[in-house]
Amino acid sequence: MSNRSKLIVTGKPFRYDQERDAEFERLVKRYPTRESMILPALWLTQEQEGWISAEAIAYIADRIGTFASQVYECATFYTMYNLHPMGRNHICICRTLSCWLRGKQEIVDYLKDELGLKPGEISADGKFSLEEVECLGHCGTAPVVQVNGEFHENMDVDKLKSLLATLK
Amino acid sequence: MAEMVKLFVNGREVEVESGKNLIDAFKVIGIEIPHFCYHPALGADGNCRMCLVGIEDGRPPLVPACKTPVAPGLKVQLDTEKIKKIQHDIMEFELINHPIDCPVCDQAGECTLQDYYMSYDLQDSRMTEPVVVKGKRMDFGCGVVHDQERCVLCARCVRFTRLITKTGELGIVNRSDEARVETFPGRPLNNRYAVNVVDLCPVGAMTSRDFRFTQRAWFLTRDKGICHGCAKGCNIYIDHNREKYKDDVIYRFRPRLNEQVNGYFICDEGRFTYHAENEGRLMAARVDGKDCLGDYAAQSVRAVLGPKSLILVSPDSSLEQMAAIKALSEAVGARLSGYSEGYIKEGDGDNWLIQDDKSANRAGLSLLGIDAGKETFTRLLNSSEVLVSFDNDLFIHDTGSEFRQRLEAIKVIAVTSHDGILTKMASIAIPVASYSESSGSLVNIDGMLQHFDRAVQKNTPYFDMVELCGMLGSPVATASDAVNEIKKVIPSFANVEGGLKLTASEATNVPA
Amino acid sequence: MEVKILSAKFNIKDAHKLEVARQHGAYSRLDKLFAMEPVAVTEEVKSSGLRGRGGAGFPAGLKWSFLPKGLNKPVYLTVNSDESEPATFKDRFILVRDPHLLIEGIIICCYAIGCHDAYIYIRGEYTTQVKALQAAIDEAYSAGFLGEKVGGHDFKLDVTVHRGAGAYICGEETALLESIEGKKGQPRSKPPFPAVEGLYGCPTIINNVQTIASLPYIIENGAEAYKQYGTEKSPGTHLFGISGHVQKPGMYELPLGLPILEVIEKVAGGVLNGKKLKAIIPGGSSTPVLTPEDAKTVTLDYESMAAHKTMFGSGGIVVLDETVDIVKLVENLAQFYHHESCGQCTPCREGLGWILKIVKKILRREGTMGDIDLLVELCDNIEMKTVCVLSAACTMPVRSYLNKFRHEFEAYVNQGTSAQTDVKQG
Repeated sequence: MSNRSKLIVTGKPFRYDQERDAEFERLVKRYPTRESMILPALWLTQEQEGWISAEAIAYIADRIGTFASQVYECATFYTMYNLHPMGRNHICICRTLSCWLRGKQEIVDYLKDELGLKPGEISADGKFSLEEVECLGHCGTAPVVQVNGEFHENMDVDKLKSLLATLK
Repeated sequence: MAEMVKLFVNGREVEVESGKNLIDAFKVIGIEIPHFCYHPALGADGNCRMCLVGIEDGRPPLVPACKTPVAPGLKVQLDTEKIKKIQHDIMEFELINHPIDCPVCDQAGECTLQDYYMSYDLQDSRMTEPVVVKGKRMDFGCGVVHDQERCVLCARCVRFTRLITKTGELGIVNRSDEARVETFPGRPLNNRYAVNVVDLCPVGAMTSRDFRFTQRAWFLTRDKGICHGCAKGCNIYIDHNREKYKDDVIYRFRPRLNEQVNGYFICDEGRFTYHAENEGRLMAARVDGKDCLGDYAAQSVRAVLGPKSLILVSPDSSLEQMAAIKALSEAVGARLSGYSEGYIKEGDGDNWLIQDDKSANRAGLSLLGIDAGKETFTRLLNSSEVLVSFDNDLFIHDTGSEFRQRLEAIKVIAVTSHDGILTKMASIAIPVASYSESSGSLVNIDGMLQHFDRAVQKNTPYFDMVELCGMLGSPVATASDAVNEIKKVIPSFANVEGGLKLTASEATNVPA
Repeated sequence: MEVKILSAKFNIKDAHKLEVARQHGAYSRLDKLFAMEPVAVTEEVKSSGLRGRGGAGFPAGLKWSFLPKGLNKPVYLTVNSDESEPATFKDRFILVRDPHLLIEGIIICCYAIGCHDAYIYIRGEYTTQVKALQAAIDEAYSAGFLGEKVGGHDFKLDVTVHRGAGAYICGEETALLESIEGKKGQPRSKPPFPAVEGLYGCPTIINNVQTIASLPYIIENGAEAYKQYGTEKSPGTHLFGISGHVQKPGMYELPLGLPILEVIEKVAGGVLNGKKLKAIIPGGSSTPVLTPEDAKTVTLDYESMAAHKTMFGSGGIVVLDETVDIVKLVENLAQFYHHESCGQCTPCREGLGWILKIVKKILRREGTMGDIDLLVELCDNIEMKTVCVLSAACTMPVRSYLNKFRHEFEAYVNQGTSAQTDVKQG
């Protein structure tokens, strides 16, 4: 993994909107300890903002009543938490074993040519971000691409073209 | 006495205490099991894998010693080729991404990595590829500087802040070989015990800004001492050195294990009180504004001591010093007070080591029957013509101001280790050795009697306060006189063997 | 060859919806279940021979029986739906196509072990799957199959979905528990085992989705019926995922014990585009590789795999055709395991990165024969020295590639040498 320890400090306070606030309170009752809310709380933040800032981590720690360092540990350990803003369309390409065998590199190369993006980069207009991720569990329909959480299986360059056309 | 358990190490039967893990149990009988992450105060974590030992017929056959309790009949293997190979391999893994910057590392000379390299590894690096680059010279707060590349990720520091101080400032972020110790942005180390992570760190990853680059560890003489920062009496090491052409100087205090007093730790404030041993000292005797020989100053004091004198004892003085001063006051018919309210910082203490009372031996005053009341002191002061302070800093924490007028009207004599307001007011000032330069006994806030020996030997030693008392007319003029006197006055100390020397072993504190 | 026990409703439209699922038998075993003594349920599962389908193959009923009796502490069930081992893609079919089968299985298990709070740990990448599962759980609550009185019986059960967030290691059962507790997914030293001291320090059973989903069949039809499938020691069926270079990759439910080559040929349609078979990864990326020669006698069960010095694993079979560059494949796997090392134990944290660096060096044609030997040695030095088996999940297959395809590594080393010689000669 790459170093994920550099958090972005926005200078603006963070808080949940009404919907996440309610969801937090609903979920916290499902666990015997408040610390169990660390992962769900990080997810709620990412759902709300698309990424997780230093302020959000501090907010979560204080709301749960735990150390900021523990939330920080989790935010950096679990690689699906975005620690900086992503493109409006976040494209994850599975790089592992079966997808690799079935041509994931063609997908990566195409996106590189088409969008001018290498994995780990965000386009200047903020429309796309690209990431090579580890096995997405869709090996039987490899190669697989996940765009904003939606799976697209048996991917090839033609399918990718039509998929990109639908993205705003 | 704990129950004993018989088991086997390398085929030899040994007897160890039950209830301990293999590392601790074997340490007592002189067998070392190498480890980075285990620490008795922090418990077993099991991440470093350096303490893996073989268990003959065991399932599993390989266990971390830190997580393995002693058990009767256990056949522990430490010297098999397999175990030696594992220790060697773990060292290789620890070192492949390590910067090996020992020449500029403060830990060199007292580094577990260095020691274990010599004992268990001793081969050239086989790493041919670029190492993982991480953060250097990171300011973690509280004077702690972190080097992520030197870190072996044992998590002792992290566990200290989570389990001991419960402040949790530190965490290990990321995973794989990108894992690193970090503080959360804007929430640096912020507790009164933070610098203990420097002592806990087995390598040079945590350094103290205060000590960095001041001394190589191997030049330091490590003497045992008792911290005088407050009434707890934490056991410390006084690390000092006399550099060529210079005087003996203290470079740091470090905690010294005493289960009955401070465990493995000390507070940061206490740790840094060593500065006061080096600095702000009264360097020369002075009479009427002129430097003079100490003997001359002592004669001048002796000439004015009498019934109109008030002798002020310090709550920081040792029992021996107190006994000598008390005997002096009786011999010359002077009044005596141990007034020292200024040493108490109300509300500053916590429920662990730090005490409100910033003096080391207040209990000694009452044990020796020295009145420390303010009312008595004020009354005596108002009717005295001479005040002789024996290292009592009346102006500590600004508390002396209310007596300033009276003090300016009478003759003030300061027998003192440090320069200060009172010393400046004094017409006679005599420098004396401070605690790191003398020996003595203290009774801490919990009533534990503890002895300390001289650590620092100045090029030109100051007067020993007990001996000075003798020069001034006290019948108690030596340390042994003082011990005899103490044993007479304090019956519970009568049977303490070997004078009041109790620090030879860590577990011999006698409740007063 | 295929059988439909777990996958019976996979091809029924809208079987994820409670109404449809009930038409096809969902929750129909609850009356029978609650008429049984909990211990009888455990016994039935024990005698069915059902083995944990997460990869280790530990007998499920036996695991349940390790729970200490008479402790005044809650018992927890955590369902492992982390499914992160490369080449494994079976559980998500249950989550999406028949989630009520899983929920019914959870009810059965919880009743047997006396658990009233179950957690389903689902990998974060399964975005659509988690929605499908949560919708099914919500439906089950509404219909009274979860909550205060399960199916109208005097049994309370809450089921909570806990989402992971991108960490393979959380498939390791104690890392999973740490993750639910709000910590990094770093495996715990064992003992204590989770059955004694697991989630929140309480007795905990951790079972894979497929294991739990196998329970309704066993309760409905009995252990004997279950044992009619598979082999004596590896009874039942399994959701095999076949991927890589085959004509018809996909998930297939098969009884255990079938010959692996026959399955690849007949079920998955053989090697893609008529190419030659080079090797088979039999049970997920962490299992040692089989050559076509090895595979001739391999059957899809725990015993045969062990006899061939590999593992049944998660049943994720990967077929490699003749074009696969084994060194590059090892790079791909080493990168995965390095990326996923939790960073706790020294050998895994430092060693997997080193392995990856050496493989990359060999691929750059800068490697030496000594580097190949070093790789083998590092595998030995890392393996079994760590808290969990993630490191072994890397070193066991890497060693097998080094053993069986060493010539491919040597070719990279020698090519480097000969290329240099060419230059000199030219």
